[in-house]
Amino acid sequence: MTDFTRRKMLGATVGTMAGAVAAAGSIEPALADDAVDLDLFVKVSVALTGVAEAKLAPTVDPIKVKLVYFKQAKSDPGFAGLMDIVHNAQSPAAAAQSIMTSADPGIKFLGRSIILAWYLGAWYPPQVLNRPPPSKPVPPDKIISDTAYTQGWTWSIAQSHPMGYSDLRFGHWSDPPLPLDTLIKA
Amino acid sequence: MRNWHWLAVAAAGALSFGVLEWRAGAQTPTGARDINPPVANCNVTPDTMPVANDPNKRVATPIDAKLLTSGQPCHQVVSTKGLVTDQLGNLQRGFDFYSWLTFIALNSPADGKTIGQGPRPGGDAATKWEALSIYRPLADVMLDKGAKPTWGTRIVPDACKPLDGPTKMIVKLGEAAWNQPFKTGPLVDQNGNYAVFDILMNQPMFDFINDHGLYSREGQQRFTQDIDFPKGNNPGTGVDGRMGASMLKVSWRVLDPVEDKALMDKFHTVDALIYFPGPPGTRTGPACVAKTLGLVGFHAGHKTKFAPQWVWSTFEHVSNAPDEKQVADKAFSPPYSFFNPNCPQCPVNTTPSDPWDPPLTLKFHSDERSQVVRTKMLPDDVIEEVAELNRGFRALLKGTVWENYMLLATQWPSDFASKVECNGAPAPTFLANSTLETYSQGRIPLASSSCMACHGNATTLGVPAKPSDFTFILEKAQCESGTCGPAVPNLAAQNPRCGFADPPK
Repeated sequence: MTDFTRRKMLGATVGTMAGAVAAAGSIEPALADDAVDLDLFVKVSVALTGVAEAKLAPTVDPIKVKLVYFKQAKSDPGFAGLMDIVHNAQSPAAAAQSIMTSADPGIKFLGRSIILAWYLGAWYPPQVLNRPPPSKPVPPDKIISDTAYTQGWTWSIAQSHPMGYSDLRFGHWSDPPLPLDTLIKA
Repeated sequence: MRNWHWLAVAAAGALSFGVLEWRAGAQTPTGARDINPPVANCNVTPDTMPVANDPNKRVATPIDAKLLTSGQPCHQVVSTKGLVTDQLGNLQRGFDFYSWLTFIALNSPADGKTIGQGPRPGGDAATKWEALSIYRPLADVMLDKGAKPTWGTRIVPDACKPLDGPTKMIVKLGEAAWNQPFKTGPLVDQNGNYAVFDILMNQPMFDFINDHGLYSREGQQRFTQDIDFPKGNNPGTGVDGRMGASMLKVSWRVLDPVEDKALMDKFHTVDALIYFPGPPGTRTGPACVAKTLGLVGFHAGHKTKFAPQWVWSTFEHVSNAPDEKQVADKAFSPPYSFFNPNCPQCPVNTTPSDPWDPPLTLKFHSDERSQVVRTKMLPDDVIEEVAELNRGFRALLKGTVWENYMLLATQWPSDFASKVECNGAPAPTFLANSTLETYSQGRIPLASSSCMACHGNATTLGVPAKPSDFTFILEKAQCESGTCGPAVPNLAAQNPRCGFADPPK
């Protein structure tokens, strides 16, 4: 089992993240601690979504949608508790399991909010997701950003593309969709 | 996967200055003419160099006079290692350095002298890309009735012959020469003159079009293979360097030799004959007018082995327009070609009113002037990195017209081999030139200018259409009979995913 502690991550990530932290403008984490949390956030997001890290947040990544989701999640009151679980877990998978089964609804439903953010590019506040039945379709609080909309993983997992936006080549509609593994695995 | 592709490039770059594996003749069928011939002097200067005894440290390559004669890069030399710890940032700087080397090489005098040492004001001279032996205007490739073009020949329309001379550059006006992409309108300078645009290509690109008959609509219909322009590569052991396909799009403003005399040593200029072919290309004509033009914008697209989505460099004149921050701070440096600091009420980046078709005077029909502001579309770190490179290269070119040009940025594929993101995950995501994509600057996916995302939609004129390898040039082809008959479906147009079935190895 990989040791997934904060201390180990700190040494491994601060060096590589510092440039991005210093460079990227207002949506970037401002402190080295944030850089560590960002890296852990990505790793637990991989476990929560089932999408490979190389796809979710490539090392050479001009879009950096992870920063948008990290900032959004961090603004939630349950984020500190969620990250405590991540810091103390033995692996990203264990962290994801603990989050999704947490007795604290603020953490459990924040985990769901993060999944929905990656999938739909929209923010569903944990408090809204936690509303009791009878449940109606839950409207998102907001589309997180125009970039988030085009980067939503639901499109790739449906082997499709966002309405009005496609990185596929002209004529792709006449071909069979790419295999799912090609889309979500490294 | 994305990281490993670039690490492979980085390793090659770091160890041998971009010497990349390449099988000579890989693009040349046996017995066929080599349309992408070996190049003797590919510029393989990297943007950083390793430090002796410290393999983890790199320093910036000095921006000095040696770079002025170092030649044109056949391929980018980039590395994930560099001046910062961010791999993306190091790669971006490598591409931006490549862009400056390309700009210097292409804008050096056609006669072989060093850039800035020409006989005209500001050391100006006719550039390499203006020589018909090196680049050819699109209008001289896509001819009437889909006629076969000839490399190097100069085509002088009858209407221009009385005005012609040995140094005259002929610019044929079609809609693309005055209307911006997606027909968003003309650009009008502060003197009320239309800006003029032109598109050119180098010989490997021309030869690919010519050899495959792609200069006519019928020829495109007959061509059953995928459109795959030749790629540039650096030399290596047993491997020749090759330039690959290169295309340019330039923008000009009209300069009056008398009224604008003070500007003549601030711009690269040409003595042009503007040809109005008449309907349907222009409302007026056939006719020809002589104008002095000053260069205000410069796009260069270059297809390379590790950038099959091409590398997109864009430069513009520093006095075109202020950027958003300068406007907010009222930190103006007039005069601007396309901005009036004394008109805060003027609508910004807005298309002028109809009619748009230019008259022979090239004067706009009303008092409207383009009020252009350069929109912020790049991440802060890219802006800072490009500004630092611009300071270095503009200082190197000080005292010449070329010190007045700046790189905006380079767009490149951060995941060139992806079968999912066919546009290669462009970095930066958005890029526009304030004179060439004036009305589509911004950061809105699909709507705002992105070189690769836009050109990735380009197709042939065949039925069914198929991807045209990131160029809209093929859409300018005419019909051989003058009028297009019913198209015959091209059932052989089966496109491999992303246009290249197997990534380069």
